[in-house]
Amino acid sequence: MIPFELAEPTSLAAAIALLDPDDATVRPIAGGTALMLMMKAGVFHPEKLVSLRKIERKYSDIRADDGLVIGAMTTLSALERSPEVKRLAPIVTRTLLTLSNVRVRNVATVGGALAHGDPHMDLPPVLMALHATATVTGPAGQRKLAMDDLFAGYYETTLGKNELISEVQVPAQGARRGAYLKVTTGSADDWPALGVAAVVESDGKTIRSASLVASAATEKATRLKSAEAVLNGANAADDVFRQAGDAAVADVEFIADVRGSVPYKRELLRVYVRRALSAALGDSGAG
Amino acid sequence: MATSANPDIAKAGSQIGRSLSRLESRDKVTGRAEYTHVMRLPGMLHAKIFRSTVAHGRIKSVDIDAATKVPGVLHVVTIEDIKEVIPDPYYGPAFHDQPIMADGKVRFIGEPVAVVLARDPHSADQAAQRITAEYDELPAVYDEIDAFTTKTFVHEELKPAGIFTDLKHLKGIRDTNVALDYRLRRGDFEKAYAAAKHKFEHEFKTQKVLHLSFEPFATIADYRDDGVIIYTASQGPSFVRTEIARLLGWPENKVRVKVPYVGSGYGSKLYIKLEALAVALSMIARKPVKVAATMEEMFYQITKHPSTFRIKSGVDDNGRIVARRCEVFWNGGAYADIGPRVTQKAGLTASGPYNIDNVWVDSYALYTNVTPSGSLRGFGLPQIAWAYESHMDMMARALKLDPAEFRRKNLLGEGGVHATGQAVVDAPLDKVLNTILERIEWGKPFDRGSGVVRRGRGFGVAIKAVTAPTTSVAIINIGGDGSATLYCGTVDMGQGSDTAMAQMVGEALNVPAEAVKIVHPDTDVTPYDMGTLGSRSLFHMGHAIQRAAEDVRNKIAVLRKEVGEPEGANTPIAELLQKRYGVQAGNIVGSGAFRPDYESPSRETGQSRNVTPFWLIGGAGAEVEVDTETGHVKISKLVCVVDAGKAVNPKIVETQISGGAVMQLGFTLFEKIHLDGGQVTNASLADYKIPSFHDLPTRMESLYVEHYQSNGPFGAKGVGESSMFCISPAVANAIDDAIGVRVTTLPLDPETVYRAIRAKAGKPLETA
Repeated sequence: MIPFELAEPTSLAAAIALLDPDDATVRPIAGGTALMLMMKAGVFHPEKLVSLRKIERKYSDIRADDGLVIGAMTTLSALERSPEVKRLAPIVTRTLLTLSNVRVRNVATVGGALAHGDPHMDLPPVLMALHATATVTGPAGQRKLAMDDLFAGYYETTLGKNELISEVQVPAQGARRGAYLKVTTGSADDWPALGVAAVVESDGKTIRSASLVASAATEKATRLKSAEAVLNGANAADDVFRQAGDAAVADVEFIADVRGSVPYKRELLRVYVRRALSAALGDSGAG
Repeated sequence: MATSANPDIAKAGSQIGRSLSRLESRDKVTGRAEYTHVMRLPGMLHAKIFRSTVAHGRIKSVDIDAATKVPGVLHVVTIEDIKEVIPDPYYGPAFHDQPIMADGKVRFIGEPVAVVLARDPHSADQAAQRITAEYDELPAVYDEIDAFTTKTFVHEELKPAGIFTDLKHLKGIRDTNVALDYRLRRGDFEKAYAAAKHKFEHEFKTQKVLHLSFEPFATIADYRDDGVIIYTASQGPSFVRTEIARLLGWPENKVRVKVPYVGSGYGSKLYIKLEALAVALSMIARKPVKVAATMEEMFYQITKHPSTFRIKSGVDDNGRIVARRCEVFWNGGAYADIGPRVTQKAGLTASGPYNIDNVWVDSYALYTNVTPSGSLRGFGLPQIAWAYESHMDMMARALKLDPAEFRRKNLLGEGGVHATGQAVVDAPLDKVLNTILERIEWGKPFDRGSGVVRRGRGFGVAIKAVTAPTTSVAIINIGGDGSATLYCGTVDMGQGSDTAMAQMVGEALNVPAEAVKIVHPDTDVTPYDMGTLGSRSLFHMGHAIQRAAEDVRNKIAVLRKEVGEPEGANTPIAELLQKRYGVQAGNIVGSGAFRPDYESPSRETGQSRNVTPFWLIGGAGAEVEVDTETGHVKISKLVCVVDAGKAVNPKIVETQISGGAVMQLGFTLFEKIHLDGGQVTNASLADYKIPSFHDLPTRMESLYVEHYQSNGPFGAKGVGESSMFCISPAVANAIDDAIGVRVTTLPLDPETVYRAIRAKAGKPLETA
C-alpha cells in the first residue's frame, strides 16, 4: 500500500468540506471493509482519505417513530441487534444474520454499504424493496434520494464526490411481509451469485402491492417491475409466483462472472423470485 | 525426566496410541510460534516481483527506469543481473527447466520478469507497478489434450535433472510438450478387451485448484561469501540445500537451510520454490533479502494438476473386470516442478484397487502455458480415484449390479497381485469398504425425497503407493541429565509431526513424549530427510527414529560396561554419565537411517515386485440432497474411512482425516481457478473460495481402520492424504443415485449439476 493522507474531521460539515468533487483520489472512508481491500489489491490509490469515524455521534443512532431513521454511520452489527429494527423492519434483522461475517458487521456501516455501489451487497436490495430513502448531505445542503435512484451502475452511484449519505429512512414494514434470499454458488460465505428481496402486502388472498429487487447477478440492485405488475392484484398462489419469476427475467441485465453464466443466473432468478415470494407469504416464519 | 536404559521393563506401548494434544498448541494459539512469513532480519530488503502479462512470448524489453527512481528502492533486478551471480540459473526437482526469472521468454501469465528490492515492502510494491515490459507474443497452449497434439511447444527441449534415473531417457528430446510418458503393461489388454462381453469407455476431467496455505510462500536469504543462510517456509529443506549448492557450485555444508513452523503446505512448498530467487537477490544486494508472496501471488507459484482421464474397462458375464485401459493426461503448466513424478506415481495405481489381469496405463506429463502444477495432498491420486471410482459406479449401474457387490467382486484381496506386479500386503481394502457401507447404511431403506429436493448415496474406495524410494535420517541426543532431543528434518506444517515423532522417541526410549525435545529442520544441525510429503514421514522417519534409539541403547550398554555396572542393571542414564565423566556432562548420540527396499519399475511394462514399502487405503461415503431446480448439492452426511496402520496418535489421525476430507470437499463442490486466455480471473480470496464452517456436511464421521502395518515403525503408516482420495467420486455417485444424472467434470458446482440435469432432460441450457 502506498502512503496517503488521513483526515479525521469531527463534524459532517467539516468532512464534506474536505472532499473534492473533481478528485477521485480523495474519498470518504467509514468502516473501510470494502475500501481497504481495494487499496490492498492495488486497484485504488488514495491521495487522501476522509475518515467519518469522528463525526457527530447522532449519525450512529437509530431512531424509531412510525418508521426508522438510521444514522449512516450505524454499524451493521448495531442494526442487527436493534430491537427497534426488529420490531419495525424484521426483514432487515434477518438479512443481517447472513450478511458477511461478524468481524465485518462490527465495523461496516449502513451508509458505506449503500454508497459503495457494490451490487453484491445484501442490504441495498432489502432497503430498496422496503422503499427506504436516503438523506444526502453536500456543500449546498440536504436532498432526499429514493433507493431506486441511488444506484447508477456497477460500483457507481448518483452521489456527487463531495456528497455523503447522512441518514436512511425506512418506512415501517407494518402489514407488509418480506424475505431476502441470498444464493451462493461457491462456499456458503461467498459473495452472492444472486440476491432477491421481496416485500409484499396482501390480505391473505390477494396481493395489494409487491416490491421485488434483484441484486448481485446484475450490475446494480434492480427493481423487478414486470414481476411486480404480475403480482399486484393477483392471487397469492404458487402459479402466480411462478409467473412473477418468469416475468422477472425481462427486468434484469445479467452479468456473467466466476459465480455463474448469464443463462444460469436467469434460471436462478426465475426460481428464487418464486421462493422469495413463498418465503415472504408462506408459513416459514418470515414476516 | 530420566531415560531408562532398559525399555523392556517399562509399560510397553505407553506412548503409541496416546491422544496427546499437540506439543506446540500453546505457542500457536498465543502467537509465539515462529513462521518465515513474519520473520525479519536486521538490514533486510524486501522484494516485489513484476510478473508477465503474456502467456507465451519473447521478451523484447523491460523498462525499469521509473522503478529505480522510487524512494527506498535499492535495486531493480532482471535476468541479466541474475546471470552475473548464477550463470546457469535453471532449477527444478525433476527437470532443470525453470529459470529464476523469465530468461528471454515468458511461459505463463504471472511468471517473474523483474524484481524490485527496497527497504520496505510498500516502496517495493509501488516501484514494481512502475515497471513495464514489451513482448513478441507467441501462440500459447492451455489445455492438456491440446498440448498433446499441438505444434506449439512450451519448451525447446527437455532438460531432465538427472537425479531420477527413470527420466534420463528424456534428455535432449525436442518439439514435444510431453515431459514424461509413463507406461504400465500387464497381460494383454487388447485381446481381453476385444473378448469382453461388456465394454465401457468414459472420460473424466478435473479442474485447476490451489493449495492455499494459510502462510503464503516466504523465503529469506542471507548471503555471505563464506556461506548462505536460508530461512524458508519449505517442506523439503534437504532438497533446498542440495539444489542451492548445485546452483552456486558450492559444497552442501556452505548452505544452511532453516525451517521454523510452516503454516501448511499440502505439497505446495516442496522441492524448491522462492529459494533460488531469494539467494540470487541476496547475492546481488549483499544484504539479507526477503521474498514473501501475498495471497494473490500464490496463484502464480504452483497449483494442483488439472487432468483428463480416459478409461476403458471390459467386464465378463460374472461381473469380473477382465481388462482396463487408462490414459491420463496431466496439465503440468509451464515448468515441470514435480509433475513428472506425479504422472508416474499416480499412473502406477491408475487402474485402482482391483484385481485385473489385463491392464494398460499411459500417463503423460504435459507442458502448457499456465502456472506450474505440482503435488497436492495425494500426489495425483484424488484425480485418478475420481475417474476410476466414478467409472466403477457407471458400469455397475449399466450392468444393473449393486455398486458395492460389483466392487467386492473385483477388489484386491490381501496378498493379491496389483497391476504393478507387487503383492498387496497390509492393505485392508475390504475392511475400509465394509466400514463405509455400514456407516452410510448401504442396502438399507433410504428416504429419497420427493419434489424438488432428491436424496442419494454414493461411495468409493482407493489405493495409493507411497513415493519411493526415499531416505530419512534421525539423530537422538541424550544429554548429561538423561533428557532426550530428536534432530529431525521432518517439517511440522500443522499435521502434528512434532508430536507424533516425540511419541515414537518416547516409546523407543521409554520416556513421556512431552519430555522429548524436537529440533526443527536446520541443515547445519538436523540430518538428511527427503521431504515432508506423500504421507511418508511417519513411516520413514519413524524407522530412522527406531534405529537411532537402538543405536542409543547399544551405546548405553557399552557405557554401562565401561563404568562397571552389571549387565541388565536399570541405572538411569544420568547416573551412568555422572560416573563416566565425574560431573553432569557428556552425551549419548545415536543415529539411524532408513531407506526401504525398492525395485525400479521396468520402463517398458511398469512392472516391479517392490514399488512401494506400504499401501495407503482411503474411502468415503456421501449422502447428498440435490436441489433439482438450481443444481445445488448439500452433503447431509460424509463418512471417511482410512487405513491408519497402528494409530500413533488417534486424535491427530482423526483431524488429518477430517481436514483432508473438507479440503477435498472444496475441490469437489466449488473450488476452481478460472482462466481466460491463460489469465487467472479469480486470483484473490474474494473470488476463490474454500469451504467455511457453513459448508461442512450436516453429519461427518472421520474413522480409521486399525490394521497393524507389519513392516511399519510400531505398526504405523502415514494418513495425511488418505481421506482425500474418494470424496469426489462418492459425491458424484451420490448425485447419480439421487437424480440419475452423471457429472464427469469437477467441480460439481451448482451450474455444472444444473446443466447436466437440463441436458439429461433434453433441454440443454444455452452456453453463453
